[in-house]
Amino acid sequence: MSSDFYTSFIVPYTSIIIKICRAYTNTQEDFEDYYQEVCLQIWKSNDKFRQESEWSTWIYQISLNVCLTLLKKRKNNVQHFVSDYLPDELTEDSYAFADESLNQLYDAIRQLSEVDRAVILLYLDEKSHKEIAEIIGTNANNIGVRVKRIKQRLKKLLDGKVN
Amino acid sequence: MEKSIEAIWKDGFLESDALVAPKLNNLYDQKSKHIIDKFKRMFKINLIAISIGSVIILAASFLVGIPVMGVLLFLIANAIVIVNRRLQKGLLKIKLNVNSYQYIKAFDGWLQKQLTINSKMARIYYPLIFLSLVLGFWFSNDIQDIIRGPNQILMVYGIPIFWGLGVLIISGVLSYFGGVIYKWDVNIMYGNVFKKLSEILNDMEELRA
Repeated sequence: MSSDFYTSFIVPYTSIIIKICRAYTNTQEDFEDYYQEVCLQIWKSNDKFRQESEWSTWIYQISLNVCLTLLKKRKNNVQHFVSDYLPDELTEDSYAFADESLNQLYDAIRQLSEVDRAVILLYLDEKSHKEIAEIIGTNANNIGVRVKRIKQRLKKLLDGKVN
Repeated sequence: MEKSIEAIWKDGFLESDALVAPKLNNLYDQKSKHIIDKFKRMFKINLIAISIGSVIILAASFLVGIPVMGVLLFLIANAIVIVNRRLQKGLLKIKLNVNSYQYIKAFDGWLQKQLTINSKMARIYYPLIFLSLVLGFWFSNDIQDIIRGPNQILMVYGIPIFWGLGVLIISGVLSYFGGVIYKWDVNIMYGNVFKKLSEILNDMEELRA
């Protein structure tokens, strides 16, 4: 990867990668691994970008696909008795955000299914239903209902700390 | 008042530390390993394909009655495979316990050597491949019938002089441009890998400067 590529095509979109990788990992170490893998895959698949969608949509797609693949791989490696959803006290201190509300929101997001995590991350990043459907590969008509249900679930998980 | 999920998200990411990207420490290691592994894989597949192809051509040439061509092409293809297998051994000798820059530099050195040898060989084997095709057809029954037929080919001391001259010129051109044709051919197949390898090397050299 040339430094030009990293500076021009990845750096402006790091926030997308960070937000997604955070939702699929529980530790700083995993987060860094996932982040690195996403960057690597973006660089590797650069040639396949056909400009049919925006570059940011491409970044979302790759980030989500890489995270889902890595999560699947780790699930297969780790025995079933180890939960993917580590309780709060097991997540590293260094991994936490400075904003406590954001930490709680992320903890709740991590308890959602893989697909629901993707949907809510895209929704919170102000993507339209059409864009969410395009990135995830579903029907745009179902996204609205899904988002509503996920938000209700998050509110429940956050124990009424949100309105 | 309690915040909405959307507000928590928005406000949370306004914090300066929330979006700090981790350093990409091992990225070069992963990238170079990926590129080199990809090349090794392609190189191996290429040699296997040449070997299998030569056997198929050999068998087919006997079936269609041009065995001379099949045998010659088989010999040329296998000579290429043998030389490249030897070169491949050099690739395996590259030490893995060195840093990425040294590893990729050693690989680049091996690659340049491989390209130079193959490009020199190409100046010989491209005309030889052409000659095999010509000889194959020359000794086939169809051409022999033409030679003996009413539209006879002009022969001087048993040599088809005009045909021979044409073959000689084409062989000369193939020999002259053999190296260029090989590089063009290899670029079609490995061009992308070469480009990425050169990008990594330039990038690393820039960082080391």
